[in-house]
Amino acid sequence: MADFIGRMFPPNTAVAKTVLASTLETLQIAFAGTVISALVSFPLGLLGAENLSPSWVHQPVKWFLSMLRAIPVILLALMFVSTVGLGPFPGVLALAVHSTGMLGKFYAEAFENASSGPLEALESSGANWIQKVRFGVLTQVAPDLARDTLFRFELNLRESLVLGLVGAGGIGFYIQLYIRSFQYDKVATLTIVLLVIVVLVEQLSVAIRKRLR
Amino acid sequence: MKLSSHIENEINLRDIGKAQAEIAVSIRDVKFRYTKQSPYVLNIENLRIQKGEKVAVIGPSGAGKTTLMRLINGVIEHESGEVKILGETFDNGSTKSRDFRRRIGFIYQDFNLIGRASVFENVLWGRVAYINPLFSLVGWFSIRDKQAALSAIDEVNLIGHMNQRADTLSGGQMQRVAIARVLAQEPEIILADEPVSNLDPALTDDILNLLVEVSENHKVTLLMNLHQTDLAQRLAERIIGLRGGEIVYDSSQERLFNHVPKSLFDPEVPPLKMSKNRN
Repeated sequence: MADFIGRMFPPNTAVAKTVLASTLETLQIAFAGTVISALVSFPLGLLGAENLSPSWVHQPVKWFLSMLRAIPVILLALMFVSTVGLGPFPGVLALAVHSTGMLGKFYAEAFENASSGPLEALESSGANWIQKVRFGVLTQVAPDLARDTLFRFELNLRESLVLGLVGAGGIGFYIQLYIRSFQYDKVATLTIVLLVIVVLVEQLSVAIRKRLR
Repeated sequence: MKLSSHIENEINLRDIGKAQAEIAVSIRDVKFRYTKQSPYVLNIENLRIQKGEKVAVIGPSGAGKTTLMRLINGVIEHESGEVKILGETFDNGSTKSRDFRRRIGFIYQDFNLIGRASVFENVLWGRVAYINPLFSLVGWFSIRDKQAALSAIDEVNLIGHMNQRADTLSGGQMQRVAIARVLAQEPEIILADEPVSNLDPALTDDILNLLVEVSENHKVTLLMNLHQTDLAQRLAERIIGLRGGEIVYDSSQERLFNHVPKSLFDPEVPPLKMSKNRN
């Protein structure tokens, strides 16, 4: 272990350009995966919310979301790599599918937590289902949705590193490449950049979430 | 048929039609219970409320006051009998159109405002029945809707708080917003379900006076659930007493408006039964 760590120093800065490009790709994979997942999760969340959909709709939707969550992201990545080929695209798909299982459930729970009083007041004023969701539910739960999505983006950023190991693009691909070729000084550079990025994104996310209320 | 009798008949028919048109609420032989196993919480043989009347519904907790309001508002469906609101008859299970729901404003004990939205938004959203649901997706309201909301906010003296978030207001201000929201709706009936229960006594008069004032200004039928008999006597034209889901007192049928029977609130005293042939 000491030998392994010793061979990481000093970090090799010659790979900085590659590292930055692959880091950007990792961020793009995480971002795209989260956006696609949020777009798909929103209607699924509405259909999966007990207060907005009948039981014959929300129950199957909840089962479907549980099923998506049960599939490990690495398995999804391997599946998409074998179907659409190597690169960031299968990574984005794997993250989008896996995240939908979680975000759909979180969104549904947020919708269910919307206070029923204002919804009854809107219905009494003549609001239909769309209007109840738009004015009553979304206004109440918008900060929860934003918080859940940001949290999922943080998780996706970490998971997208692992995806690179199976050829689904991003910084993970270079980590496994340099480890296999014993270039630990380059791994050190990647690890440092990675740490900085993860901490920065996390801090930014925390700051945004604090402002939401 | 002679011309004079024909004209007489015509006049009579017109009178009957006019009288029927002026009935805001008509409930006959209506029973309601929440589940098939539970006892009836509402059992009303006959209740008629004229348009423009200011009615206070009083009774102890669990008397069925809120259930009566919810029945009139169309939130719950009656098991038997006939409910006729604003000229529309509702059978068990019949759905109420958006426009019909718009014609009845409801003021809640807990205000039921959207805390994160501003005063203006809360009031403006009282106009949802006037806009195309697809426009609501982008939150589009017409100038007319915005003017109606502003005018309602002005009427409850909250123009200075228009852009303030509803959850930062005091209880009295919140109930004012709720009244403004109902006014923006331009209803024909206002139902107020214990509108002052969550307010301190100093605000009680303030809110109830406002409620009566706006209902008079807009010539709207007002039904309010109250616990306090003295307030009901002071503010309403008619008092209806409920106990165990039944109407046990109606000031329009009694000689003395100020004589509300004590049996209404005393569980030890059996309720007085009113005669069935009243209207």
